[in-house]
Amino acid sequence: MSEEEKGRVLEIIREFANIGAGNAATALASILNTELVNEVTSCNILPISRVAGWLGGENQIVAGVYTQLCGDLKSGVLVVFPKDSAEELLKHMTPGPIDLGQITRLQSSALREVGNICLCWYLVAVSRMIETDLIPAPPDAAVDMLGAVLDLPLATLGAHVDTVIAVHTYFKGVDRRFEGYFLLLPEEQMLKEVLEKMGAKF
Amino acid sequence: MNEPKVVGIGQIVVSRAPEQICCLGLGSCVAVFLYDPEAKIGGVLHILLPKAPPHCQAQDKYADTGIIKLLQLVLARGARKERLVAKLVGGAQMFQNLNISICDIGADNCHQAKKILRDMGIRTIAEDIEGKRGRSATFHLDSGKVAITTAFSGEHTI
Repeated sequence: MSEEEKGRVLEIIREFANIGAGNAATALASILNTELVNEVTSCNILPISRVAGWLGGENQIVAGVYTQLCGDLKSGVLVVFPKDSAEELLKHMTPGPIDLGQITRLQSSALREVGNICLCWYLVAVSRMIETDLIPAPPDAAVDMLGAVLDLPLATLGAHVDTVIAVHTYFKGVDRRFEGYFLLLPEEQMLKEVLEKMGAKF
Repeated sequence: MNEPKVVGIGQIVVSRAPEQICCLGLGSCVAVFLYDPEAKIGGVLHILLPKAPPHCQAQDKYADTGIIKLLQLVLARGARKERLVAKLVGGAQMFQNLNISICDIGADNCHQAKKILRDMGIRTIAEDIEGKRGRSATFHLDSGKVAITTAFSGEHTI
């Protein structure tokens, strides 16, 4: 991909990313029972090998919620909350003390749910732009080092995926702020379809 | 002391004392450490998947093709095969509730790596594998020790 093409593709990604982030903010506001807006959204399209770097390094602790799409278009979908944001979210959703090293079943379930809601709302934005239904399988959550969380997505898709669409969003409320990453790991066919239907010419 | 050299997924790094080599955030991936304690030469391979598909170019991502190449590179650096010992780290199952066929790819990686090492006649003298936690590992080439850290507990050495 040349720099000029990349610029065009990024513009398209930014469009769905902003819509997706807006959707996600509304949904999160409703489950957290608070006012919430999406503040800054930055996007990138990058090779798998550079994903960990863009997200801030393999060793940091994150909560990751991962699933894959069902159907003809194959893609992995991963939502990542950095440690502070994951704790902030749990604080508002679950009772009791929070220790990410030993999260309870309820907390794990809450993370899975909040991740699921976010990834679905980003997917809705993609789905509307390409006018194709995208249905994710039930996701699972893991809290660990970023590098370790990324391993399974890379292993399940590694042979067929080299390009990752990455979106970073800050959600801002009256008294809280947290951030999340939405990562789409499309197989080649899906990537081509998404970019073509969104209007990128190659 | 120099910074440790970082081995990314699908990469091999070979070096000698007093260097250090590290793998960050191993989840289902497995790090294979080969070490010649007399020459103090060692190498690390960071594998993603157990078996390479036919006609695959990116050999270093896979246990079967990657370990063979790691061995060649370590020998080329001056290690002797009869003195080599192996250590394994990683292969955790990060997501336990996913409905994906290769959900426990970590265990498959470990089995395949051990099998290849056994077939090559290299002893695996220590391991910290499988489980549910990610690990980072630093290989100290002056001692052959591997220091392992996890996200929420302290450091230990194998």
